[in-house]
Amino acid sequence: MTLAETKSGSKVRIIGFRHPGAGFIRRIQEMGILPGSTVEVERNIFSGPVELFVRGTHLAIGRGIAARILVEPLNE
Amino acid sequence: MNKAFTIALAGNANVGKSVIFNQLTGGKQIIGNWPGKTVEKAEGLIEQEGLKIRVIDLPGIYSLSTYSEEEIVSREFIARERPDLVIDVIDASNLERNLFFLLQLIELEVPIVVALNQYDVLEGRGLEIDSAKLSNLLGVPVLKTVATKNKGLRELFSLAKEILLQGKKPTGIVRYGKEVEERVERLIQEIQREGDLPYPPRFVALKLLENDPLIASECKSGALLTLAKELRKELEEIHGEQAETVIISERYSVASRIAESVTRKKETLQADFTDKIDNLFLHPVGGYFILLLLLLSVFFIIFKFGSFLSDEISTLFNPLIQYLENLPLPGFLSGLLVHGLVEGIVAGLAIVLPYIAPFYFLLAILEDTGYLARIAFLTDSLMHKLGVHGKAFIPLIESFGCNVPAILGTRVMERKRDRLITSVLATLIPCSARSVIVFGLVAVFLGPIYALLLYLIDFLLIFLVGLLLNRYLKGLPSGLIMEMPRFRKPVLKIIFRQTWIRLKDFTNFALPIIVGANLVMEILILTNSIEPISRIFSPISWFLGLPAFATVALLFGFLRKELTLIMLATFYGTTNFGAILTGKQIFIFGLVTMIYIPCIATIAALKREFGTVKALLVTLGEIVGAIIIGGLLNFLLRACG
Repeated sequence: MTLAETKSGSKVRIIGFRHPGAGFIRRIQEMGILPGSTVEVERNIFSGPVELFVRGTHLAIGRGIAARILVEPLNE
Repeated sequence: MNKAFTIALAGNANVGKSVIFNQLTGGKQIIGNWPGKTVEKAEGLIEQEGLKIRVIDLPGIYSLSTYSEEEIVSREFIARERPDLVIDVIDASNLERNLFFLLQLIELEVPIVVALNQYDVLEGRGLEIDSAKLSNLLGVPVLKTVATKNKGLRELFSLAKEILLQGKKPTGIVRYGKEVEERVERLIQEIQREGDLPYPPRFVALKLLENDPLIASECKSGALLTLAKELRKELEEIHGEQAETVIISERYSVASRIAESVTRKKETLQADFTDKIDNLFLHPVGGYFILLLLLLSVFFIIFKFGSFLSDEISTLFNPLIQYLENLPLPGFLSGLLVHGLVEGIVAGLAIVLPYIAPFYFLLAILEDTGYLARIAFLTDSLMHKLGVHGKAFIPLIESFGCNVPAILGTRVMERKRDRLITSVLATLIPCSARSVIVFGLVAVFLGPIYALLLYLIDFLLIFLVGLLLNRYLKGLPSGLIMEMPRFRKPVLKIIFRQTWIRLKDFTNFALPIIVGANLVMEILILTNSIEPISRIFSPISWFLGLPAFATVALLFGFLRKELTLIMLATFYGTTNFGAILTGKQIFIFGLVTMIYIPCIATIAALKREFGTVKALLVTLGEIVGAIIIGGLLNFLLRACG
């Protein structure tokens, strides 16, 4: 599944990216969203950006970019 | 000693670089709680004990592989101009991500001092950082600071001076995994053989492995690039990931290990205040409701406070003007002195200042609390329809103050297309000068509802223009990546200071223009030149349904938009505009002033950022558009009676 399809309050692990060569994919990796990292989905409402908690900070990621981040759900 | 040293302030966005800059140099950088305020480097000079030190405040940067335009400014400065020392400002409460940048900075081998800033926020979370240990692990000196409270800055500066004079570079190297280090080593050998890049070999080697396009474009050696490509491929085979992912992951794992080993929990964590507030402010329904309520209250506060203050100030100056009018001076001189000079100043103070002062005050509060980033979040979907992402909303909000810094501020957008769209939309936002017309003319003489209506028409127009630009400009919109700042209680001192800095711009820059234009107008009146000039524009006046002189007043708006109203006042010798214009004329005059052309300073800003052709196109488009819209409204209202 992609980050855009996650539920608010869930924890997911990043597993990869669609179009990994794109500039914004490099940037989100530099912001700490890397394959293997665990992120908390704080806010994901039908439209608008997805808010994540990752490495101690809150990041807002546009829906289009979120749809290119592949994740797997983590069971608590 | 006459040599001037250079110290650059660098670090992630919104960590407090500009606050430190202002405290060190007495500078007046705009500060606030959102990422991307500083888009151009600022410079201040400190002279101490015969030592000249230039302090440079750089835009926020997350990585030395740059992404947005404002980051390029920082990277170019650090990597190419090679400051004598870099103060890396780190958000102590966000150590890991900030270390990611510091690790790259260390690889550049410039002398560094680390300011562990916003230390109070960290303590507020019940955490502490062992700064001595951090300093040991990284091989650079580290000091705790709280810039907003001026804590630790004196020590920071004297330590920076000491390191600077010694020219002491970071000691010790941070090592990455074996597979990476082996390949770095091979690249370093090749780089030393070629030796044509102005950066340290290890930095270049890592950037090449990371596939950084800028470094690659600076490399002249084909052999080096081929080797780098081969090594990247090897890494990709070993790790099953893109080479850039491998290097970034390596850096983060080092950053994470260091951050963990120096951070200690002192007491149990309190519930985060920001999280709770965000549940409200970012609520899918409530969030928009609050936003709307907030904007409406801003509107009414400015109107109520402004019109009250405007009356008070006018009354205050009345006796002076009466006294001057009765002086036995020759008519020409009296006209120039009283109507030109004094009334020009009074107009600036009584018509303009009362509305822009509360505006800047409220804007500073919005900036300081961190709410602006929430607006960007809430409006992201809407802005995507206009071809830009939510961050564009920040320069657009700034645009309500003045379009010029807003156009510069679009540099937080990552691509040229986004910047152009945002800038065009920004020129259509009624800046404080135009709001003066809306508040001082339309709201006062027609009522605040009509003023709101004007804003609504304008926003609708902005939306339509955005849709069109997105449709017809080549390229695709890019997405939002934004760090959400924590909410912060606004600091009154900072808010007053911020308001004052912006108001000073008004008194130093705008007021002379207003007075000058007023003098020109007075001369035109005294030499009876108004008639012939207004006759030239009579077709436009007819089309807009305005009195001939009102069109001439609009011309003056080219210099500064407030002038359209001030010129009316000067020409008719009254500020009781209800007596000279009908309600319909007031509305059309307000509408046309809102959209017809950006002022000359805005056109210059457009030209600097996008070139002459685009600046002219935008200007012409807006003039023609405003006249057509104003004229159509005129005929529509006439038809309706």
